[in-house]
Amino acid sequence: MGLVESGKLPKPLAKLLNISRKYSIWAYQWGLACCAIEMGAAFASPRYDVMRLGVIPFPASPRQADLVVIAGTVTDKLAPAVVRLYEQMPDPKYVISMGSCANCGGPYWDSYSVTKGVDQLIPVDVYVPGCPPRPEALLEGIILLQERIAHEDMAERWKGDPIVIG
Amino acid sequence: MIRLSSADTTETEAATAAETPIVDERREALLAEFTARLGEGVLGSHIRAGDDLWIRVDRSVWRETAETAKAMGYVFFDYVSAIDWLPSPFGRDMDAQEDLIVSGTPAKEVGPMTHGYAGGETRFQIIARLYSLADGMGIHFKTDVPDDDLTAPTWTSVFAGSNWHEREVMEMFGISFAGHPNMINMYLPTDFQGHPMRKDFPLLARRVRPWPGIVDVEPMPGGAIDDEEGESE
Amino acid sequence: MTAVSDRDDISSLVAEATDNRVNIDFESEGMTLNMGPQHPATHGTLRIVAKLDGEQVISAEPICGYMHRGYEKIVEVRTYPQINALINRIDWLGSFANEVPFILAAEKLMGVEAPPRAQWIRTILFEMSRVANISLFLGDFGLQLGGMTAGFYAFRDREFVLNQIEAATGGRFHPNFDRIGGLKDDLPKGWISDSQVAMDKLLAFCDEMENLLVGNEIFQSRTRGIGVIPADVALSYGLSGANLRASGVDWDLRRDSCPPGLVYDQADWKVWTHPDGDAFARTWVRLQETREAAKIVKQLLTTIPAGPVMAKVPRIIKVPEGEAYVATENPLGEMGYYIVSKGDLVPFRVKIRSASFNNISVLPWVARGAYVPDLISILGSLYFILGDIDR
Repeated sequence: MGLVESGKLPKPLAKLLNISRKYSIWAYQWGLACCAIEMGAAFASPRYDVMRLGVIPFPASPRQADLVVIAGTVTDKLAPAVVRLYEQMPDPKYVISMGSCANCGGPYWDSYSVTKGVDQLIPVDVYVPGCPPRPEALLEGIILLQERIAHEDMAERWKGDPIVIG
Repeated sequence: MIRLSSADTTETEAATAAETPIVDERREALLAEFTARLGEGVLGSHIRAGDDLWIRVDRSVWRETAETAKAMGYVFFDYVSAIDWLPSPFGRDMDAQEDLIVSGTPAKEVGPMTHGYAGGETRFQIIARLYSLADGMGIHFKTDVPDDDLTAPTWTSVFAGSNWHEREVMEMFGISFAGHPNMINMYLPTDFQGHPMRKDFPLLARRVRPWPGIVDVEPMPGGAIDDEEGESE
Repeated sequence: MTAVSDRDDISSLVAEATDNRVNIDFESEGMTLNMGPQHPATHGTLRIVAKLDGEQVISAEPICGYMHRGYEKIVEVRTYPQINALINRIDWLGSFANEVPFILAAEKLMGVEAPPRAQWIRTILFEMSRVANISLFLGDFGLQLGGMTAGFYAFRDREFVLNQIEAATGGRFHPNFDRIGGLKDDLPKGWISDSQVAMDKLLAFCDEMENLLVGNEIFQSRTRGIGVIPADVALSYGLSGANLRASGVDWDLRRDSCPPGLVYDQADWKVWTHPDGDAFARTWVRLQETREAAKIVKQLLTTIPAGPVMAKVPRIIKVPEGEAYVATENPLGEMGYYIVSKGDLVPFRVKIRSASFNNISVLPWVARGAYVPDLISILGSLYFILGDIDR
């Protein structure tokens, strides 16, 4: 992918690549708390059926995943594991922070053991609010992420510049 | 430790007797049997008729208490925990700002230390509960732990389940248990400083941030706040 | 001989001895297997450090605290209605059931009793949350043992119950519906007949699970005789709920020590026990429990009395000074709250006795000598929710 790295990818080709990435997100399930059940309902239940959006929710390890949904409370004790999980994922990688706890600490905003927001540890692409968010809300978050991927300039990302998405 | 308790054992019992004239014979008999078996070890007690029984024992007979209770059929282990009776030195500062407004009493004075049922003499008390499936009754046991020697005998040899509970008490209150096989932190990382459940452990997030719940209707980005809706809330 | 050469001699002897031990005796050095802190069945983040000898577990030590949110501390700075919203999230699968013992304990201290209609609806919602909780267990346990189908079925049929809970309370997951002195609202129109239909569907789901899972030969061979917990061990560890009943102890707080405010005596139902105490027994008891819960709901739905759903309580709730412990039979086992009140807006101390904490503390005992694949069966069948362990 020399063209990509040099940032000289032809526009139609970049678009094609983005579309294919958009509809083949491998989502790693990182179930932490209550939200994990709603994520499970979105990912595994026939009613919400996330696979129609092109999300494949069953990678065996973070090394095969493009997306991780941080669904639940992140505590200070767990923080190193979250960081390691993120580091294990191959680039390009995306993070959805699901639920109030992962967004900002949520109802445990004054607790002595809860990390107030997973964005203190890893960069977050989409925040899904709610306590817990309904499965539909998570699906909307995934759609927003897909829009983001569709307009992404891979060259920018791979050159290491900060990502700016319209 | 100076005895600050206003809820003296005899007073509590007298007050309860005056309010509820019903005498709970089963629990009275149970208490009598415990007193007979443990003798001087029983320091205080409280019975809420038809509901619950509290027995305060001396720390030296804490383990014998468990053994006696087990021999009497109280075989179901419920929990072991502790209570810090220290009135919070932070006063109302530890409470949510919203509560101050609702109650209208800013900055209440910190009162003297008072103990709950069955009395007490020290700041820290261990509380445990056992249950008898045959009797259908539970007993709360309490014991005082003096500040200068925060240890108590372990229950692990009698009730294996108290292992984790005692570890939790250790990390949350700093009370260690003599004879415990594995006295390490239950929840918190090993480098965690302090004992969170102590009353003098502040929740710093509360002091640097106002209570977020007080903002009921936030103005939407780019839109004006609907006043009528805000008032009707 | 000098001292130095002595030392050389000894060290060479030690090295030789070590060499002999490793090479000739074929001694197993053991192996440490770290499971977690991620749990495949989304129960939360429990980490288990297992020391293995070959395929056999020598010791398994769960490491908790990855989900420790400091409940007991932060409820000391919350008012009672705020706590009610918070404690929904302890056992997140049966949320409504978490509220009930806390509310009952507060009501006991205040001397308030909910009106009969509220008691009925409380019991119904309590049992509905049990159905929602344990139906997911059945699916999840199948998932952990390699049967994906059960998981999909559970997620499908669980939605019917969640719909009903949502219709009545407004919350799919965390209803926050219980109030000191009653309930937030009355039932919506048509809810009773809809719930009857939903419960019928769940009863059919139980039959389906019985055929699919419990009657499955592979499932049986992976759970029968695995992780046997005798009754006396179960009691001394404080196991409760289905784990205790699967060890042959006929004990159910709903029947034997029901706190006032729940109306289990108004329905005709059974407490199921199993003498084996193994993983299969625990699953089987839970399956029967789901059935009974659905039956309780169906019966109580037909006999809801009319009247208000809220007793007269002050607008600002101050709980009088005192101590009270109320425990109920939650989906996971005995859940109790020990409230110490100083007559304030906030409780002085709340001890949360959650079922999973005791239930999972037996794991080091029961896992000793088990095989690694059986560890999954044991862990799955003990059934824990991380929020309920770590709080």
